[in-house]
Amino acid sequence: MISKMTSNVFSRVRRVNVFQQVLFLLLALLLTTSTCYARTISPVEGLEALRRGFTGITDFTADITQEKKLSLMKRTMVMNGSISFKKPDLFFMEINPPFSSRMLLRDNIIEQAAGNDKTPARIALPPEHGLKQWFLKLASPIKSLPDGVAVQADLTNSVYTMTITPTGKGQVKDIAIVFLGDGTIKRLVINERNGDRATMILKKVRRNVGLTEKDFRL
Amino acid sequence: MPFYRLIKNLLPLLLLTACATVPAPPLDYHQGAVLDTLSSAVSLSIRAADSSMSGTGYLLFRRPDQIHLVVLSPFGTTMMEAFALGDRITLVYPSKSTAYVGRFDELPEKGGLQGWRLMRWVMDADTSGKKQQNGTVERMDKLGFSEKVTFENGVVTAKESSAGDQVHYSNYSVVNGVPVAAELNLRNDRGDRIRILLDEPEVNTPLEDAVFTPNLDGLTVVPLSVFKGL
Repeated sequence: MISKMTSNVFSRVRRVNVFQQVLFLLLALLLTTSTCYARTISPVEGLEALRRGFTGITDFTADITQEKKLSLMKRTMVMNGSISFKKPDLFFMEINPPFSSRMLLRDNIIEQAAGNDKTPARIALPPEHGLKQWFLKLASPIKSLPDGVAVQADLTNSVYTMTITPTGKGQVKDIAIVFLGDGTIKRLVINERNGDRATMILKKVRRNVGLTEKDFRL
Repeated sequence: MPFYRLIKNLLPLLLLTACATVPAPPLDYHQGAVLDTLSSAVSLSIRAADSSMSGTGYLLFRRPDQIHLVVLSPFGTTMMEAFALGDRITLVYPSKSTAYVGRFDELPEKGGLQGWRLMRWVMDADTSGKKQQNGTVERMDKLGFSEKVTFENGVVTAKESSAGDQVHYSNYSVVNGVPVAAELNLRNDRGDRIRILLDEPEVNTPLEDAVFTPNLDGLTVVPLSVFKGL
């Protein structure tokens, strides 16, 4: 009888120990996964991290989800598609149905076609807004903050988040870029002064896949 | 062997039969239901002799003549907004911090924008009230101009104005009891073409006045007559 009682007591003690161990492990797991090593970094450090990461990329492709939240509406428009980029001046974006459209940016020339349109619309941006110019600016290390913008940056578990705020009264209130140290952009959020918000989420990013000119046709 | 021959002969016939067009069943809409408000994501394509543009956006409409159209840039920012009320139109270009205000007839001759003056006429596409009605009738539109309207099972599939403007309505579905065409193809008397595709339209949901009122705070407001085109 005594031995049975002793056995029950030990059994309860073991169960309590097991329970405590599980609880401890669970807490440890939760604490480990939720620990955020967030630290604010200087604006120049953030910009330079993006620039440096991008120097190792010659091209990339990614699937995208684009979300547009209109301030006047409760609804969010969601579009899916893909993008491709090749240094120094080629960018292609394709949006899937029902918003089917294709856009090719070749330096400062935008060509755009919707649905089955065979003749694309063509828009020429001022040469100083061309892609080549932007990449020329990114050729040398960033040592000071560019004029006309305020930048906030932080580094959390190897993920950089940088918010760029133009100081003027233009359309864009701020742009947030979430990226990794190797230059992989994960998310782009553009807040407009009218309260609208445009978000682009990049998924399945494939870097340096050897894209050629042929991959950039409407 | 005869069985094989039978299959061999029947198969193409079966395939051909399967490919034949099956007429869509008539829409099950509420007789007399009308479209008072519409809000929908849209895909747009404008093609004129001298220029063209395409993009995505959002369209809001309230009967009889209030329209708010948002056109987005490829990166999702607002490229242009158009607000129309009666014969007045306001075009807002946030990137230029400029709003152009004036009447539809002040829109530039070029650039495909003249097509927008027809939007009220385009949006006026009520059912005939008779679900069995098919064929084309000539009638006066709500503004007192003559038009030819083609009905199919009571819904409008095409209209032609006396000036030669044409609009075709297709891909109908019933939303909130109201038949709504998901594809509108407009061709005006100048040959400009506008194609609008609606995605997940919401019909007859209340829309606040604010959504049809341009917010001109911080914008430079100039007359539409100085507008040079898209």
